[in-house]
Amino acid sequence: MLFHTWLFLVFIAIVLPVHLALRRTRFSSAFLLLASYVFYGAWNPLYLVLILISTVIDYQVVRFMERSAHKKRWLVVSLCTNLGLLGFFKYAGFVTDNLNVLLRATGYELPQPDVLLPVGISFFTFQSMSYTIDAYRGQLPPERSFVRFAAFVSLFPQLVAGPIERAKSLLPQLRSPASVKGQDLADGASLFLVGLFKKVALADWLGIYVDQVYGSPEEYRSAALMLATFAFGWQIYFDFSGYTDMARGVARAMGFRLMVNFNNPYVATDLGDFWNRWHISLSTWFRDYVYIPLGGSRGGSTGTYRNIFVTMLLSGLWHGAAWGFVLWGAMHAVGRMLLRPLERAPVYRDRVPRLVKQLLIFGFVTLTWVFFRAQTWADSTLIFSRMFTSGWADPRFPLTLLFLVLAVWAYQLVYSADGRGRRLLDAQPVRIALALFMIGWLLVVAQPASRPFIYFQF
Amino acid sequence: MTPSDPHQPPAPSNGLHLSPREWCLVLAITVVACWLTPTLWTEEVPGGDSEHYRVPDPLNEDYWFFERRTGEVPEDQVAALGDSVVWGPHVASVETLPSHLSRRSVPVANLSLQGAHPAALAGLIEHFGGALRDRRIVLHLNLLWMSSPRHDLREDKEFAFNHPQLVPQFSPSIPCYRATASERLGNVVRRNVPFLQWGKHLQQAYFDHLDVPSWIVEHPDRDPLAALGGALPGPSSRPTEEPVSWTERGIRPQGFQWVDPETSLQWASFRRALSLLRQRGNRVFVLVGPFNEHLLTVEGRIGYQRVKDAAVTWLEREGVPFLAPRPLPSGMYADATHPLADGYKSLAETIAGSDPWRAFVGAP
Repeated sequence: MLFHTWLFLVFIAIVLPVHLALRRTRFSSAFLLLASYVFYGAWNPLYLVLILISTVIDYQVVRFMERSAHKKRWLVVSLCTNLGLLGFFKYAGFVTDNLNVLLRATGYELPQPDVLLPVGISFFTFQSMSYTIDAYRGQLPPERSFVRFAAFVSLFPQLVAGPIERAKSLLPQLRSPASVKGQDLADGASLFLVGLFKKVALADWLGIYVDQVYGSPEEYRSAALMLATFAFGWQIYFDFSGYTDMARGVARAMGFRLMVNFNNPYVATDLGDFWNRWHISLSTWFRDYVYIPLGGSRGGSTGTYRNIFVTMLLSGLWHGAAWGFVLWGAMHAVGRMLLRPLERAPVYRDRVPRLVKQLLIFGFVTLTWVFFRAQTWADSTLIFSRMFTSGWADPRFPLTLLFLVLAVWAYQLVYSADGRGRRLLDAQPVRIALALFMIGWLLVVAQPASRPFIYFQF
Repeated sequence: MTPSDPHQPPAPSNGLHLSPREWCLVLAITVVACWLTPTLWTEEVPGGDSEHYRVPDPLNEDYWFFERRTGEVPEDQVAALGDSVVWGPHVASVETLPSHLSRRSVPVANLSLQGAHPAALAGLIEHFGGALRDRRIVLHLNLLWMSSPRHDLREDKEFAFNHPQLVPQFSPSIPCYRATASERLGNVVRRNVPFLQWGKHLQQAYFDHLDVPSWIVEHPDRDPLAALGGALPGPSSRPTEEPVSWTERGIRPQGFQWVDPETSLQWASFRRALSLLRQRGNRVFVLVGPFNEHLLTVEGRIGYQRVKDAAVTWLEREGVPFLAPRPLPSGMYADATHPLADGYKSLAETIAGSDPWRAFVGAP
């Protein structure tokens, strides 16, 4: 069930009032769990088996941890279960492909596993793991109620594409629900509208052009390939942050506060800043559970770079079972290593205008998206080579779309500058006009049948 | 960035933050705009004042346009509803059945849509035919829609059929219709919200049946606002298909797998369409066929006769004025159901001269 479908509208029209009526009662978590399982089961009821396995194991693991002297063993059980599920359903095909390449000389070939990647498995396994790791570290008391814990793992607004919430933030909200005021509903609606606009009006539109060009890159020249790559950078941002906005909007209307997952990433001034703004819930997850345990920045330059590299590589692999994603992560790691000395240099830090830094980071991030979006390694290299060598034929990129994207970018730049421009954007007539513009666009202009969210494939 | 800081602004990455009162204002403006826009929308319909006008081929699934068109037809005119047999793809618009009837009897407006099988026709009448209330209607019954489980929409295998937006979305179930629950809900909503239908109208009338973003990507050099100011598709005055007889096309005699009218979805839908019209105060004249019986094998003719007899018996029992004319000469058919120009002329003469028709139009 996708947020931008009529089915979801009916679903939330039923679930929201019932939830609001029950939220102060002992049935609150049970109803949320039921609603979440209906939401998730609408894709495929068999998916519920997987989320139930993850939930039961992690709930019990922490209960056992509490009484055991060998907490680490129980933590390993949780990690093996979650990473095992993820590994089998997400990476089995990738591993088999690569083993078959190695085995080709022997004439032996492993059969290709016939498994379907369950929607959102990368998100709920990470969310569930964060609970066991935090409990192992003693940062979190065990959750007594299985139903509440299951509702935490499966909470439908953020179940399939995040944000990856932490137990210490979400479980207390489930335990002691805050009251829902009119402003919460209004904020929820605002977030949902912006998210819907980003997804349906912007991401899907950009996607039409990107699909054309990336579908047959050999037919396009430099300008088109550059613009398509630029467009994809914005498409994936609008798509994913749009989903997150909608998730946060739905949750807010229900009285839950989910973490901010995107904070104008394309106004970042360095790569570290970019990762503090892009998919924040995943970056902080990797920071807290991979980068810092590896030693963080405590081991000198070499150790820090190694830790950054490992973390970024794993982050790339999290996004997909393909070498393109690994390379994408590696490019970000190398980028951070190379740019770090520059970013710390006083000349660069103090003399280079902020806008130049922002454009530099945007350019770098945009180029790395080639590996993220291209279908194959051959396509990636083809796009890179043709991007700079194949001449400047008319890219036939719609100016209306370019204007819209640049307007959003300008809006973000002005908004993040926190000056008089922001106060202007915050003025009531501007906000109301923007809301009306987005609603009008969605109702009249935007395509009715939309594509699935990009991040669902992860 | 720390997780879930409750003091964070609700939308740090976009800044849109409306109060409940502001939301009420936004919603009120939206509702008023949605209500007014389709009502106030005006456009020139090329050839729309012609008595031979039929819905242009590109607007065949534009139900907003159909609804508006039905409202524009003078009240004293008879409205002809049906599928392509009434629309007349193999003939010019002046040679269709409604045109010939207009010349020989009373003015008849061609309000048919191509591919409007009974299940779609019932939906069309129910959701977009409100302006037809209290009028005289010619309702065509094309028995071809009962000539196989596939035509009857009861085949289990999924296939694309015409006008899926108009058929019942949830009940009765249509086995070959496999739209998702969300698509079905969307169709239900769109059928009931004129503003959304108007949006679809814009796509079909001005943007080559594409959504606006796709159209802009297809035509980066063109201005969408200028396209919106353009003219509607012109009238389909010429034949859209080659006017060649079925024998020249090389169509061989067929048996068909005629369905049992007792369980036929299309027959049930036709009866529903008729019932809807009568509930709205319409006087209805049903035209059964004429099917190209020359194209039927011996077995096929037996099945056809069974279906036709069932329909005729039911119409008689219900007291519905109808005519089930004899088949036209073989050479007057383009295929199993569509007459050629001579066929329509001959059919119109037969109808205009028949007692049920004369009684229906109040002719002496």
